Amino acid sequence: MVEYRNIHKAFDLPVLTGVDLRVETGETMAVVGPSGTGKSVLLKTTIGLIVPDRGDVRIDGQSAYFSGPGTMEALRRRAGYVFQGAALFDSMNVFENVSQGIPEERLRAMPRGELLGRVARSLEVVNLDPAQVLGKLPSELSGGMRKRVGLARAIVGEPEILLYDEPVTGLDPVNAASIHLLIERLADELDVTSILVTHDVHGALVIADHVAMLTNGTIRFVGRPEEFKNTEDPMVQAYLSQDPRRSLALMEAL
Amino acid sequence: MNGQGGVGTRALVSWGRTVQNVARHAGRMTHLLIGIVNAFARGRVSFRSVIDQIWWMGVQSIPIVIVTAMLGGIVTSQQGSYQFTGAIPLYILGSVVASSVVLELGPVMTAIVMVGRVGARITAEFGTMKVSEQIDALQSLGRDPVVVLAAPRVAAGILVVPVLVAIANVVGIFTGMVAANLTIGLGSGSFFYGAQLYWHKWDLVYSLTKALAFGFWIPFIAVHMGFETKGGAEGVGKATTSAVVFMTLAVLFLDASMPPIFLN
Repeated sequence: MVEYRNIHKAFDLPVLTGVDLRVETGETMAVVGPSGTGKSVLLKTTIGLIVPDRGDVRIDGQSAYFSGPGTMEALRRRAGYVFQGAALFDSMNVFENVSQGIPEERLRAMPRGELLGRVARSLEVVNLDPAQVLGKLPSELSGGMRKRVGLARAIVGEPEILLYDEPVTGLDPVNAASIHLLIERLADELDVTSILVTHDVHGALVIADHVAMLTNGTIRFVGRPEEFKNTEDPMVQAYLSQDPRRSLALMEAL
Repeated sequence: MNGQGGVGTRALVSWGRTVQNVARHAGRMTHLLIGIVNAFARGRVSFRSVIDQIWWMGVQSIPIVIVTAMLGGIVTSQQGSYQFTGAIPLYILGSVVASSVVLELGPVMTAIVMVGRVGARITAEFGTMKVSEQIDALQSLGRDPVVVLAAPRVAAGILVVPVLVAIANVVGIFTGMVAANLTIGLGSGSFFYGAQLYWHKWDLVYSLTKALAFGFWIPFIAVHMGFETKGGAEGVGKATTSAVVFMTLAVLFLDASMPPIFLN
């Protein structure tokens, strides 16, 4: 279980102003909301990539920020993070990039054959052909392939938690749908807890067990997808509406 | 009065921001330094990474360092020839060239080359990694960027810059001698007689101590500025420019502050 408790974070201006959110073990939680509301900031606080000014993140009851040295490092090993732009290492090929997902000490001790097998399996899970991509540099891959390699790197270490930061941003609808279905399949097959930050609310409603809406630095709504669709909250309705004029009218009325 | 008050307030705010910025950089640099020392103390730095950096920073810098040192030696020799001819014994030129190269030109010109070739690249590389979330990705994978990226570069800088300065010193003196021979016909025997006349062993120690200081500060500042990069491509450009200015000033300040300490 991942629990965000009263998370506050300000840069020049306050971004998160007391976020409380609970994600049960094995479930998929989608966090949606307007741009600049701090969704990615919230996700990054999970494993200390951004340290909150106040509050705590608890993973299976263990505090990420108040449990002494080494805790964060240990928590990071239990999580896989998929970055918005994939964040693949430019100077490394696909094989080297994916290998980095295995904890350092295990990587050092692992025979080359076993490592190759694990990397290849991870690439197959994300529907990439290892024979075609293993030796390629990130610059030689398409946007969709880079996202998949980023995903392969996140799962190769067999994490218990998968964190997705805008996994479909910049992809065409077909590629976006295939990534969404991949996220759903990984959650089922690997039995991981997934937290997904996205703008694509319609895709999120299909694959998530719960959807949370973050606005003005706090969680405005949390519920199951059907509750999300049926709520009368005008902000949620504005976000769900396929008609841009209605969305704007609802937002202006707020 | 309001106008004056406004100007005064703005100046105060601007001064306050500068102080805040300096304090922030000082704090972050101290934190980075502690991280690097810790990484070495715990034996976490990969030997292979240090060797890779030595190859890139040191071996691949040798040609440009040699060219720079040759030009420095030639210019010093020619300037000295021009000023000494008909005024003082020409063998003194050997002393002038050797002292100028060993005490100043060798270390400082090598350091400036390293600022441009090594420092700027480190900042641009790390800045790009920062804005494209590759540094975050490293952390998310349980790797410490200070251990993986910063420590090997700083270690390599400390190890290679003194060697490069030693090469620059030898090349600078030798080309100075050749230039003196070709321009005013000063023989190598007379040149080295002059060079030995005012030679102190301490000069070489001083030269290499300076090189050691430059070897630490150049990659250290470059790494720090790279890690501090914000924004997109523009941010990387700004960080790289600031890093080059910061590193150049650091080299010149160190150069100016060392004689009173070491040459008294």
